[in-house]
Formats: sequence, structure tokens, C-alpha cells
Amino acid sequence: MLLLANLEKRHATAARPLFSGLALTVAAGEIVALVGESGVGKSTLLNCIAGLENADSGSIRIGPQAVDIAKLDESARAALRARNIGFVFQAFHVLPTLTVAQNIAVPLLLCGVPAKEHGRRTRALLERVGLSGFGPRWPASLSGGELQRVAIARALIHQPALILADEPTGNLDPRTAHEILALLLERVREQDVSALVVTHSQQVASCCDRILTLTPDGLS
Amino acid sequence: MITAGNRSALGTLAWWLIRAQFRSRRAATLLSMLAIGLGVALGYAIHLINDAALADFARAMKSVQGDPDAVIAARDSAGSVPLADINQLARDPAVLVVAPVIETRVRIDDSPIPVSLIGLDVFSAAAVMPQLMPRHDDRAVLDNIFAGGVYASPTLLERLGLRPGDALTLVRGEQRWRTTISGDLPATHPDEQLLVADIAWVQQRFGPAEAVSEGRVRLAPDADLSTWRTTLAQRLPAGLLIRAADDDSARLSNLSRAYRVNLNVLALVALLTGAFLVFATQLTAVAQRSTQFALLGVLGLSPRMRLLQVLLEGLAIGLPGSLLGLSLGYILAVAFTQLLGGDLGGGYFSDSAPLIVPALVPALAFLALGCLASLTGAFYPAYLNRTQALAQALTSGFSQRPAAIVASPSRLALPALLALAAFALAQLPPLFELPLAGYATIALVLAAGIASAPLLTQTMFGWLSERPLPAPQRIALQNVAQAPLMAQVAASGLIVSFALTASMVIMVSSFRVAVDHWLDHVLPAPLYLRSKATPLPQPLLDALATPDAPFARIERMATASLTLDPRRPKVALLVRELERDNPAARLPFTGPVLTPPVAMPLVWISEPMHEIYRVGAGETLRLPLLGREVDVFVGGVWRDYARQFGAVVISRDDYLSLGGDFQPTDLALWPLPGQQSVAVAWLAPPIERYGLELADSAAIRELSLSIFDKSFAVTYALEAAAMLIGLFGLAVTLAASVWLRARELATLAALGFDRRMLSTAVMLEGALIAGVGLLIGLGCGVAIGSVLTHVVNPQAFHWRMPLAIPWPMVVAGAAITLAAAVLASRYAARQATRLAVAQVLASAQ
Repeated sequence: MLLLANLEKRHATAARPLFSGLALTVAAGEIVALVGESGVGKSTLLNCIAGLENADSGSIRIGPQAVDIAKLDESARAALRARNIGFVFQAFHVLPTLTVAQNIAVPLLLCGVPAKEHGRRTRALLERVGLSGFGPRWPASLSGGELQRVAIARALIHQPALILADEPTGNLDPRTAHEILALLLERVREQDVSALVVTHSQQVASCCDRILTLTPDGLS
Repeated sequence: MITAGNRSALGTLAWWLIRAQFRSRRAATLLSMLAIGLGVALGYAIHLINDAALADFARAMKSVQGDPDAVIAARDSAGSVPLADINQLARDPAVLVVAPVIETRVRIDDSPIPVSLIGLDVFSAAAVMPQLMPRHDDRAVLDNIFAGGVYASPTLLERLGLRPGDALTLVRGEQRWRTTISGDLPATHPDEQLLVADIAWVQQRFGPAEAVSEGRVRLAPDADLSTWRTTLAQRLPAGLLIRAADDDSARLSNLSRAYRVNLNVLALVALLTGAFLVFATQLTAVAQRSTQFALLGVLGLSPRMRLLQVLLEGLAIGLPGSLLGLSLGYILAVAFTQLLGGDLGGGYFSDSAPLIVPALVPALAFLALGCLASLTGAFYPAYLNRTQALAQALTSGFSQRPAAIVASPSRLALPALLALAAFALAQLPPLFELPLAGYATIALVLAAGIASAPLLTQTMFGWLSERPLPAPQRIALQNVAQAPLMAQVAASGLIVSFALTASMVIMVSSFRVAVDHWLDHVLPAPLYLRSKATPLPQPLLDALATPDAPFARIERMATASLTLDPRRPKVALLVRELERDNPAARLPFTGPVLTPPVAMPLVWISEPMHEIYRVGAGETLRLPLLGREVDVFVGGVWRDYARQFGAVVISRDDYLSLGGDFQPTDLALWPLPGQQSVAVAWLAPPIERYGLELADSAAIRELSLSIFDKSFAVTYALEAAAMLIGLFGLAVTLAASVWLRARELATLAALGFDRRMLSTAVMLEGALIAGVGLLIGLGCGVAIGSVLTHVVNPQAFHWRMPLAIPWPMVVAGAAITLAAAVLASRYAARQATRLAVAQVLASAQ
């Protein structure tokens, strides 16, 4: 679950805030698309929700305990992200020096799950994302679509409460993009996770449960 | 937050990342490891060798001297302890036993190598010097030690090929005594070559009458050494001293202390170079993996863990490097002691190879030092990794210009402050008799040089890049000017390595020039004749005085030694035939030459003596001469590079007027014009007969300079290693810089830059950075060279010399390094030309 209340963010040099008074609730199992023009603050909003940037005021509550990430220090935010948030990026961001299986297992390690328990869970999830047998391979040998499948598996393996996806199909061809989006939505619904998907694509947005548009006046 | 439960999971992640890092940066990691290993190896080897040499020397001393609580001896090596004083000491209730000893040097059967002959009283010696107790042999001709005969150490018997019962002749000057070997000395040190005989027998033949060389004292069990020593010192005659066991240890340690510390500083330089390499490797690794670390941060790796990860990677370089260093150090220690002896050719201890015994605590300390150096190198990159803004790093990678390092005029304050602090430290006197402030000055000069790099880079190249230039040159200039951190990292290796190399070249050159001039002054005669241990034989001196001798002039000198402080090595006393009114004809004075205001003995002291005992020209010095304390006037200070612990020259006339017995040991000989070969032939028979040494001044000069050059061989090897590491650091950093700017370079290629232009831009960048590094390095090198010459050398070795900068050599070195740097940057340039442009541009990373 994700709960935003009265959120405001302003840049030091700007006369008016980037956004203010933002309120949003994403329920468990709900997928919300966030659209808007370039520069309106979508990525900044996503960074604030992930605790990578500080909001100037308001609260951001995440997960079953509804912990306010805005009130945590840097280390506690990292711990909250490790346990409760999964990320999917436009640029995949798969670690090139780790194998596919190791990449997927990174969130498990950050949650303190011992390495001996990884094998079963990564194998099962690789199968669910259509990458059976890819575990020992290196990312350099994978295509863009395969890399994004790895990223989705990594985002879901620790069963987070929230998925934050920033243009998850932005670097893919239309056919692969469609497959990847379908996979992401299916897995998110299957695990009953809340998801916030930032996108410029109407096609992606139309597949979500709700579409919100971020404008200088707020969310609509 | 880390809990016990997830510690092992985080450990697994850390291990994966370390393994991945080592796999992808094999050469840089291995080189960093080797550099750390080299530093640890050198430091550990020096420690092992010195420890073993000191222990060996102490064992050898104990073997000859036994294990007395204290020793009573004459301050003047030509003096002795009157028997009356020994007898009085024996009546002291605090004294259990006094063992009188007479020690002299003799040659055996005209063998050129002299050995020690120790005369002892077996009854008292049994309590104090059990190692010297003789074992009578059944084959001996004489019944026991009191009947005469000598006892030889097993090593000496083996060397001479003699055995008990054999006859031999003991030779001292013109004295020759026939005797037989009555047995051996089973408990002496294996290296020891000495003879023992009854003290009365030795005294009767070699003297001194009514006196002995030393009294070795064993105190009563309830006596307190320091109280007894203080009491006795007050009533002891002025010419005598008390030496306790800890004085011997201190003297032993003082003997090689400065030399040892200097070698350790060289090892520390190697270790610091290793730390720098870890710094360069880890900084570029952090820069290259900034997106990956940012991703891990986004996924939930805490800032503390991101810091720890880079530190752990540093430790993963330092730990195996240090372990390798310990093994290498042990091997080096064994090899060096076999090749050069326990003092690495320093000339302080015997030539024997001491036994190297590694101990756990020092090994652990050196292991920790290696790890600490590595962690120090990794700390700043780790800090940068901790403080990188995650969202920004995830999209655009490592920020080359964090606010903290942007150069601005106010940044001049740091290097200026460091330079001022360095100047202030250079003025300080030695601490604990070591040039510690001098070493700190060197570190500060290097820090000031490195700190000035970004400002100099930005100012110089920022201005140049605004000039009308071809595109590749402009790109290279702009890049260097706008990425001061990478330029600083790349240049700092060259700054450090070139500064250290240039400074050593300057110091060694200054020293060599000074030694060369000094040799001109101190070797005026064409030939020099010396006796190895005993005074020159009178018949030879008489023959030299006859008109038949083919010599135009002869100057005689007698050498002895004085103990001014029992905890310090002895000071040489040189009694010379020189003109009291014109000593400058023979001695290279460093300041004014004064004459005493009143009639009193006149001496001239060497520069080390002036430094160690803080006494100067025009002052009065109290010397322990001829069994009493004599006030002498110091007429001047002369330069001496031969005797590190000080020397006093007194004219023969003054010495004789004080009641001294002038027994020459050295001669300076001027053959008649054109008769040098005749003179050498004339000297050949007495040299053979008396085991003397003859050398011409050219040979002495050649030998001295060759010893000088050999003693700096290790330094040259370290300089070469430092330069290679500096160049490697430049190549690695430039390659990383190319990697970081792959998108920029690919864009330039897409816009029409051909391979040659890209290659030119990158190589020019390398040349510019190297140029800045060498320029700053040269400045630092001259400064450090001056510190080594004017601060470290006088404080550590008590040698002063004028600064002589060998400009052609230094400039040629800089030019060669610049060329090598351009070649090294070809590696990075090749990477730039091999970029898969389309792929790089398509990739978001």
C-alpha cells in the first residue's frame, strides 16, 4: 500500500513549488499509471516516494505498517526500500559483473535472506518471467527484453509491498514492450502488490487500473 | 540497519562484489596488491634483519664479555684500569666478584688478520664470563693455564688448521712470543675468533704493567645496581667509566639507529606508494561502478554499507598483499643477510649472516600496517561512494566535480598552509635524536604538491583552452580543466614518484659532490700505509727515517678512541703530525679556525662530533685523555664523512706535552718525485712481514666512491619502482577517464572526430596531466632534496653538505618520464579509438 498526504516539493531556485498538496492512495494489488509532461516532476515524485530525495512537507506511507519514509534517516530509508519496494527502470540497471541469478538474489541478501535459500526462489521466479535456465548467464549475453525480465524478477523476489516502475518499456521495441508490460502487470497482480508506473505511453497507461496525470496544479 | 541475522547475507553480497571487482580489474588490483606487499616486505625484512643482527651482535658481545652487571674501563682506548682500583673495587661489600681482563690484538704466525687475545683470571672469570672458560686438552704440552699456553675458539682453530699441542707465534708490532695451544673455548659464539690465556702471562708479555683493560663486576645479590653505580661514579678516577648492561644495549642500538630508521622510511615510502595505488584503483573503480553502487543504494544498501564495501575491497587488496609481503620480507631478509650481512652493507656489525627468526607479534604488526595502508588508500573513494547522490548517479553516473573539490582561488589556502607548515617543521631540531620533523616536512611538501594540482590544472588549462586551437587540443585542454579530480588522481602518482625520485637524485648528487671534494682535501699524499690493529712496528718507522727511504715527506698519525658517553658509540681520537698554526692545510674546516686565548691544548673536532655533542669552535671541551680529564680548546670544526659518531684531532706535539705516548698506526707518504713504484717496492717486504695495508690515494678514492654508490643501490631500485607505479597510476586513471566519458567521446566520433583526432585528444590529455604532475613534482623534488640534504642528513647521520642540483639529469629524467607518460596514455587512447560508437550512444549507461 502507498499513501501520500499533502506532499510538497520545491526547488531552491524556483519561484513556485514543483508540486504541492499531493494526495494519493494506491491499494494493495492496485496498479496506478502516472503520466504527465516532461519536467513536471514525475521522476522527482518517484524519487521522493523511494526516499532518494526529500519532500519539503507531507507524508509518504509505505507497506502494511504504513511507515512514513519522509521521517526516516538515510539508513532507515535504505532498509525500508530493501524490504518494501521493488524497482523497475527504463535502463534495466542490471549489475554486469553478477550473473542473472545473483542479480535477482540481491534484494534477498539486502533483506537478510541467507544465500542457501536463494536457489529455489530465483529458479521459480526465473521460470515465471520466462527465463528458465538463464541463472548462470552473464547480463552481457542477454537482449534488452531479457534484461528487463531479469529486472522484473529482481523487483518481485522479496515480495515487496510496492513496485515503482519508471518507464519500464521505454527502451524496448513495441512487441517486446507489450510482452514485458503484460508480464509485469500479471506478476504484480499475482503477488497482490501496489504499483506506481511512470510512463509517457498511453498504451502502457491504459493497461493500468487507474491513470493519474501530474500537472503543475497537482494530480488529476 | 544490520542485524545478526542478515550479516551473513550482506557478507555474501560483499563477497560477490569483491570477486566481481577483482575479475574485472585484474591488473590494477594485482599491482596494488604487489605495491602493498613490497612496502610490507621491505619494512618487515629490515625489521627481521636488524633484530637478528642486534641479537647476534649482543650474543657475540656476551660471548666475549660474559654477562657482568657492570664493567669498569678506561674512557681512552689507549688507557687502562690501574690494579689498585680493581683491588679497591674487590673490597666493596656490594661487589661479589671482579674479573680483571686484559684484551689486546695479536697476529698469529704473521697471518695478516689480527685476533683478540684475552687474558683472564680463571677463578673470577668463571663467575662472570663462563663463555670464555678454557677447556684443557690432553694433547697440550703444558700442564695448565698458569703454565702458559693459549686456548683458541673452535672457529679460530679451524681457520688456522691448528689443534691443541701445536706451536704458534703471537705477533704484536715488533714483539713476537712463541707459545703452544693448550686447549679450546667450547662455549664461545660460532663466529668468534679469539684466544684466551692467563692474565699474568698476557700482562708479562704485552702489558700494561700494574693495570688491566677492564674489570668486569658481578654484584652481590642484595646490591642495587643504580645506587651502587651512582655512588661509585662519584669516587671513580676521571679517566675511568662504569658501563652497565643496558648501556651496551643502548650503544648497540644507537650504532645503527639512524641508518635503520632511514631504511624504514624508505619502506614506508613504498607502503605509501602502495596506499596511493589502492587509492587510484579504488577511486577509478568507484567512478566506473557509480551507477551500480547507486542501484544497490536504491535497492536498499545503506550508505554505511556502501562505504564499508569499498573499504572491504581495499582490505581485500591489503590483506593478501600484506601476507605476500610477510613471506617476501622473510625471503628478502634471508637473502640480504647472506649477501650483505646483518647491516645491509652499512658497516656497523660483523660480516657474518645472522639467523633470521620471525616472531608472531612483529609479523602481525606489519600485517596490520599493510592493511592500514590499504584502508587509508580506500577511505576517500569509500567516502565519495557513500556521499554520491543516488538518483543522480543512477542516471548520469559518477560526478567528476563534487562541490568539495572544485578549484577556486580560495583553494590556494590549503596548499599554501601545508607549505608553510612544512617550512616551519623543517626548522625544528631532531626529536629523539631522529629527523622526525624532517620526515613530516617531506610528507607535508608532497601533500601541498598534490593539493595544488587541481588549482594549477584549472587555472593553466582553463586559460589555454580559450585560445584558438584545433579541436582535439581544445577538447583535451577543456577536459583536463573541467575534471580536476581525475586530473589530480592521475597527476598525484607522478607528483609523488617524481618528487621522491628527483629529491633522492638531488640528495645523492649533493652528497657525492661533497664526498668528492672532501676526498681531495683529506687525501693529499699519494700513498697511505696503515696497521690493522696494533701500532706500526718501530723498525719500519726507523727505516723510514733513514736517508735511504725513497720518500720526500712522511706524516704520521696515531688513532685511539674515547668514550664520552657510555650509551653512545666511541669517538675517534686522531693524533696527527700537523702544524698547530695551520691545521687548515690538512683538515677541511667548515667555519673559522681559532687559536686558544691562553696556553692550553688545542683540538679540532669533526662535524658529527659538533652535531652530536653540541660543542663548537671557540668552546672548551673536557676530554678523558691519558687517564684523566683534560680541558681542551676547540679550534675549529672540520668536515668528516668517514666517522659518523665523531672524531677529535689533536696535534702530536700537544699530545706529547700532555704526557701521551705517540705510537703511529697510519702513515701518509709522499714518495720522491718519479719514484712512486720504487717506494711501493721498498715498502713491500715490511708490509708482508707485519701484515700492513698500503693503498694509493686514487684507489682509496675509487673504493670510497664505489662503496658510496653501492650503499644507494637499494634507493635507486625503489625510485625506479616508484616511477613505474606513478606511470601505471596515470595510465589506469586515464583509461578510467575514457571509460567514464565514453558517451562524450562516442558523440564526438558521431559528430565527425576520426580515430586519429580522438587518439590525439586522449594522448594530449595524458601529456598535459603528466606535464602538470612533473612540474609540481619537480618543485616538490627540489624542496624535498633540500630537506634531505639540510635537515635529514645532518640530523640522522650528522653530515652536512652544500646543495648541488644536477639539472641536466633532473630535466632529462622529467623528459623521459613525460615521454613514458605519453606512451602510457596510448593505452587509454587505444580504448577511445576502439569504442563501439553506435552501441555506446544507444546504451543509457
